[in-house]
Amino acid sequence: MATDFWASSHYKRWIVDRATLAQAREEDLTYAGSQEILDFLGIYFANIISKLGKKLNLRQRVIATATVFFRRFYLKNSYCETDPFLVIAACCYVAAKAEESPVHIKTVVQEARHVFGQDQYNVKNFPSDNTKLAEMEFYLVDDLECDLTVFHPYRTLLALCKKETLQFGVGGDLLDAGDLGVGMGPDDGPRYWGTGEGRLELSENALQMAWFIINDSYRSNLCLLYPPHLIAIAAIYLTLVLNPSAQATINHLLPSSSANNAAESSPHSTEEPGTVVASSSHFQSNAHANTTPRRSSRQSSQTQTPTQSSQAQDPTSSLEKQDPIEFLANLNVSLSLISTISQELISLYTLWDRYREEGVVTSTTGANNNASTSDGGSTLSGSSGSHGSRGGGGNRSPMDSLAGSGQGAGNEGSPGFPGVGGVVGLAGGGLEGKIVTPAFLSRVLLRMREARLLGGGNTGPAVNRMVENVKGI
Amino acid sequence: MEDLSTNTLHHDPMLFYRKKRDSMKRPVQQKYNILGFISSGTYGRVYKAQSLDEDGKIHAIKKFKPDKEGDVITYTGISQSAIREMALNREINHENVVALKEVILEDKSIYMVFDYAEHDFLQVIHHHSQTLRFPITTPVLKSLIYQLINGVIYLHSCHILHRDLKPANILITSNGVVKIGDLGLARLIYEPLQPLFAGDKVVVTIWYRAPELLMGAKHYNKAIDCWAVGCVIAELASLRPIFKGEEAKLDSKKNVPFQKDQLLRIFEVLGTPDEKDWPGLVHMPEFANMKRLERSHYRLHEWCQSRIRSQQGYDLLQQLFLYDPDKRITAKEAIQHPWFLEDPLPTWNAFQSVPLHQIPPHRRIAHDDAPSMMAPQNTQMNGPGAPFAPGQPQTQNQGQSKPGSSTSFASGMSVGGAVYVPQQANNVGHNHSRKKARLN
Repeated sequence: MATDFWASSHYKRWIVDRATLAQAREEDLTYAGSQEILDFLGIYFANIISKLGKKLNLRQRVIATATVFFRRFYLKNSYCETDPFLVIAACCYVAAKAEESPVHIKTVVQEARHVFGQDQYNVKNFPSDNTKLAEMEFYLVDDLECDLTVFHPYRTLLALCKKETLQFGVGGDLLDAGDLGVGMGPDDGPRYWGTGEGRLELSENALQMAWFIINDSYRSNLCLLYPPHLIAIAAIYLTLVLNPSAQATINHLLPSSSANNAAESSPHSTEEPGTVVASSSHFQSNAHANTTPRRSSRQSSQTQTPTQSSQAQDPTSSLEKQDPIEFLANLNVSLSLISTISQELISLYTLWDRYREEGVVTSTTGANNNASTSDGGSTLSGSSGSHGSRGGGGNRSPMDSLAGSGQGAGNEGSPGFPGVGGVVGLAGGGLEGKIVTPAFLSRVLLRMREARLLGGGNTGPAVNRMVENVKGI
Repeated sequence: MEDLSTNTLHHDPMLFYRKKRDSMKRPVQQKYNILGFISSGTYGRVYKAQSLDEDGKIHAIKKFKPDKEGDVITYTGISQSAIREMALNREINHENVVALKEVILEDKSIYMVFDYAEHDFLQVIHHHSQTLRFPITTPVLKSLIYQLINGVIYLHSCHILHRDLKPANILITSNGVVKIGDLGLARLIYEPLQPLFAGDKVVVTIWYRAPELLMGAKHYNKAIDCWAVGCVIAELASLRPIFKGEEAKLDSKKNVPFQKDQLLRIFEVLGTPDEKDWPGLVHMPEFANMKRLERSHYRLHEWCQSRIRSQQGYDLLQQLFLYDPDKRITAKEAIQHPWFLEDPLPTWNAFQSVPLHQIPPHRRIAHDDAPSMMAPQNTQMNGPGAPFAPGQPQTQNQGQSKPGSSTSFASGMSVGGAVYVPQQANNVGHNHSRKKARLN
């Protein structure tokens, strides 16, 4: 079971289609008024789980499991009919046990009260009584149908990629080694995959970026829609096009002209990734479509040329010998699916750009970021808050890892793609590309729950009023 | 109205959720007819029950003890053990592992519904030692062991360590198919986030505990299950535990004591280990303590002569009892051992060669006299699904399966009738020493 995803409860019972997802959110949608609010709530909840998880000293894998539990629970329930904060605490509590690193229930209650009590969440009534959390756990496990073993993309990542020059051993040692555990013992017998043969070599910061993209994927519903290995491959793909040192490995393989026209294709402008046809050539041009704006935005806001710097840092010739595009093609997975997942990840980043945690707005590298601070919301600056907070919380994002390679820290201001944020905002309706904060979402959530209790299905006006006031936040 | 909603939001935000969920649930009692009580232990109790669905299948329902604060049953959090057992059982599926049908979470209690198995290894051992008074025949012995190893291979291939293999936890259906049960101490060892010893200080019932665990090893692996398989083979062959040591109890600080007596019992048969047998020995935390023990010589071969009666059988046992966990035979290698290729060959119905009158009696069940949330509704034993084989003496509850008398799935049950009485006296201390220490 631990190795056979196809025989797992995860595959058999918990990979759902979009219609199921939409149905699960139907009631919430009537109270929230727009899908975009719900998408923001998805980020909001995942961030809270991550925050609580860190307070509880949970490993990344445990936090990921807790997040999956949370999303599975809300396949059967609606936000407005439940107390998502209690559910979050229960998810962390159960995930810790399911991943064999239990935390005492008292500790969970204490830390939950502390985290949720922060002004931005403003939950002052989280029960101090252990039995409330224990009761929630009971119902949660029931709704999870006791399927507590969850597969994560991290494992695939390390099975497919390794750090350059690292000949033997698990690549995990350069990341949070413990997040993957101690690896396979010698008694595990012959293996036909993940043997380390033919793994794609990535520079340390590229591998780290892929890892962070996987972390970020939990901010969306991807973990309910796709098997984890596909998410891992999408993360590798995005890394190849986003990470300067990884770019270096594919640049020489691509016709240089594609880089110029690709910017126009703007693959992430659509919220319907299914409409993108990803033939293998499209896949390549997409690679550059994503690369180009990133690179240019980076160049405009940063002082270095990433490609040059990365080449300076990574003189390894072995990286140049491999062919990552062929590597991806040979994985024998549907590249159109990978493309779809990548699109979704990009959409997530676009949305996340506009999500800003309070208290971390101040840039650590303000000088580099002049274009994106102190705006009212409809530009690309949202990233400063969200990514800054992730960096600060120890949950480093791919962008942070870029920053680590000499590109400025925490507030790079470039995870988004020029011009895209506004497009999505208009499409989403209501918020019109404005910055959204946890405090705002906390209020929306409370409204939704109150309105649900009152029995009326029409909170549109209430939420709309709040939307109007967004600027005041 | 506004007040009401605010109030609910503040004081019982999950009120409506619970009501909705509870109303959707079909209570255990509407799904199963409880036929009687099988056994109990630290985790709770096991009942025999018949499905009220059309198939009318018989099940064993393991009910985890609800937590109590005084007399009030309350929620205190699901135990690590229950979480493990649920999580693992939901993923696995193998002929030689007990199948979980469903889990019912109801009214603060957890009910795990398993396929029913009529017998278990301990019961077969008792049947032979007390009633038949002759050893388990080689075809049966070999079939039971073959299937046991087959189940262990599956668990190990899933990266699950059972960590509590012993006769009482290994069940047999009336069709003679072995089913490994009780994954309450089992855990996944694939990519653990923490070393195994960090979670549970003590694993495996003392008589079946591998030497590396007794020596205080911080790291252990699948080899501990293989050692336990060796102990089970020896017990089936001799009808008594081969290493029947006294467990040293945990001290008040819950430090794990040096298990001197258990090691001595092992050394008496296998000889005192040295660095040549087991290079890692000198690095074991209990090495200094062990050095002080009286030295013994190897006499497993001698032990086997009257009991296993096959050179190949001895060889398999000897390989399962290798001190060095790295040299010890794995389950996968064990099933390919020549012993299983020589006559008599193992059979999928372990009882195939057994005359009908020598088949162990059906599991005894008792009427549950203790107050319980799941009081038996039907105490009529002779209805459909009557648990007793025709012609079997049907004795009333003799008290040997009283709550708390045993720790495992089935060790509380016993063969019926007068022949059992001497065993019963035996059983008290027996069960006591079988108790495994759980620290968490």
